[in-house]
Amino acid sequence: MTYDAALHLLDRQIVDEEGRLLAKVDDVELRVDPDGSIRPSGLLVGMPAVLPRLGRRVGHRLTRLHVELRPAAEDRGRPLVVDIDRIASLTSEVRLSGDGRGSLRRLSADRAAAGDRWRLGELLGTPAAGPGLHRKSVVLDVRISGRPGESGEHRVAALVVGPGRSGALLGYDRTSDLGPALIAAVVRWMHRHARVVELGPEVEIDCAAGRVRIGAGASFLPLRG
Amino acid sequence: MKRYFAVLLGVLTAIGGFVDIGDLVTNAQVGARFGWSLVWVVVVGVVGICVFAEMSGRIAAVSHRATFDLVRERLGPRMGFLNLVGSMLVTFLTFIAEIGGVALALQLVSSVHHVLLVPFVAAAVWIVLWRARFSSIENVLGLLGLSLIGFAVALWQLGPDWGDLVAQLSPAEKPGAESWLTYAYFGVALFGAAMTPYEVFFFSSGGVEERWTHKDIGVMRANVFIGFPLGGLLSIAIAGCAAVVFLPQGITVETLGQVGLPVGVALGKIGLAVVVLGFFAATFGAACETGLSVGYSLAQYAGFQWGKYVRVRDAAAFHVVLLVATVLAAGVLLTGVDPIMVTEISVVFSAIALPLTYFPILVVANDPDYVGEHRNGRLANVLGVAYLVIIVLASLAAIPLLVITSMGQG
Repeated sequence: MTYDAALHLLDRQIVDEEGRLLAKVDDVELRVDPDGSIRPSGLLVGMPAVLPRLGRRVGHRLTRLHVELRPAAEDRGRPLVVDIDRIASLTSEVRLSGDGRGSLRRLSADRAAAGDRWRLGELLGTPAAGPGLHRKSVVLDVRISGRPGESGEHRVAALVVGPGRSGALLGYDRTSDLGPALIAAVVRWMHRHARVVELGPEVEIDCAAGRVRIGAGASFLPLRG
Repeated sequence: MKRYFAVLLGVLTAIGGFVDIGDLVTNAQVGARFGWSLVWVVVVGVVGICVFAEMSGRIAAVSHRATFDLVRERLGPRMGFLNLVGSMLVTFLTFIAEIGGVALALQLVSSVHHVLLVPFVAAAVWIVLWRARFSSIENVLGLLGLSLIGFAVALWQLGPDWGDLVAQLSPAEKPGAESWLTYAYFGVALFGAAMTPYEVFFFSSGGVEERWTHKDIGVMRANVFIGFPLGGLLSIAIAGCAAVVFLPQGITVETLGQVGLPVGVALGKIGLAVVVLGFFAATFGAACETGLSVGYSLAQYAGFQWGKYVRVRDAAAFHVVLLVATVLAAGVLLTGVDPIMVTEISVVFSAIALPLTYFPILVVANDPDYVGEHRNGRLANVLGVAYLVIIVLASLAAIPLLVITSMGQG
């Protein structure tokens, strides 16, 4: 069981047990373990989470503007966070366990600055280079094993890389029988260079420097699983 | 029994709810200038809104996600934001036109200038949005809107030469004095009036408000497939009345009073009173729907609590948006701008904005992650793609036609 973080988790509605609408998943926090595996660790919420996703330059400028609107506030640049293990289920909404009131906490300064914490929004769109890949390839999506709210191992298993914009695959990479046939054909043709790369020693992700290097020995999976 | 009553009520309110200020004004204008030669556009538009509303209603019933949830989930925050701004502006423009329409309807009764009535109308709309239950808004105003059936009765009473009227149905019967460009411009306007995007925002959000489940898909389809086409017939009757009374005299329609005039001619004071009540109910109902749609769109994009199914204090931000939108709309109307002109602009911009929300809905209606086994069948997809093409073409043609024909004057 896998899910694609940008397609299935990002931008979904967060609700609590009672069905209260709490927020959108504005970004997803990823944590890098000492053994190198990457796991989803939290859902980020609020302006400091969504503004950077509005484009590299515009996003940066808007985020700064958001901070400067109230320079006296120390926490203005940090989003709210809810830990990933609060998720009870992921369907067309992200349902949290328990009462949602007061469930969003401000991300601590230490955690926001930690080098082993990445944001999915930063990873998406990062240039990916390697033999056999289209030269304009970027990270389009992040395939995660497991399912939030269910037991088992949760870690980033593969990257979907290819030229284009994250999200533009619209889910047509996941199954082969998603209609309408005409739109499916157009989307698949536009993303004919997209590949799924399994994470392994051959895949080196440098989120801070903004690049992904994929070695010759990396394992490529077919796009439609 | 209760179920049949629910279907009947749904269908009746869908008929009354289909017609709004855009349909009233555009159909009368088109009827007066082009007779029935543009009726085929109404038919295309009504089938289109059925396809669009059925898909979004089905998604809302199965996944409880309304239009702008899906827009952001499928297009991401950046494209979704541009989409939100465009769609909200068009809906807000329609909201202004509807409030203006209510004021114009009241002016017909009271002879008080509509600008003086705007603050009261806006206050009434806001109070209804704040206090009234969702189902009461939909049912009371939808049923009162049925008095627009007066147009169908009036057309019959006017006793037109039916053979002549039916012969006008061919596009080749376009009156010689009009150019093909103005014909095309009014075609796009009529299409935008029939397929106003807010109808779908409201319809899908309403499905979430009323807590539809997959069991309600049948009732939803009955509302759409019976109610909207019957509403379309009302539109055609409005155009027919104008075609019979105004076209031979070469009179163009510029006021709401003129829209109702053929009914006065055919049925006298009582008939006129009935359709003016219909004007009031249809525009007031649509004002509530567009006002709510402004709040729905923003809340669904941003993720905060929306809806009339929760207490006002639990959806405080949503209600603040409704209040601000109502005050702004009243402010625009208080500048003295002609509501009929706002209507003319809003229907054209509706046509321009349609692809923004139509495309993500079409994709999600196929996605088993959202709709499971209830995804689009072959017919829904053939129609869905055909309408995607039509909607994109209408959207692309709208601005050039608007400029070349100077909003249909040329």
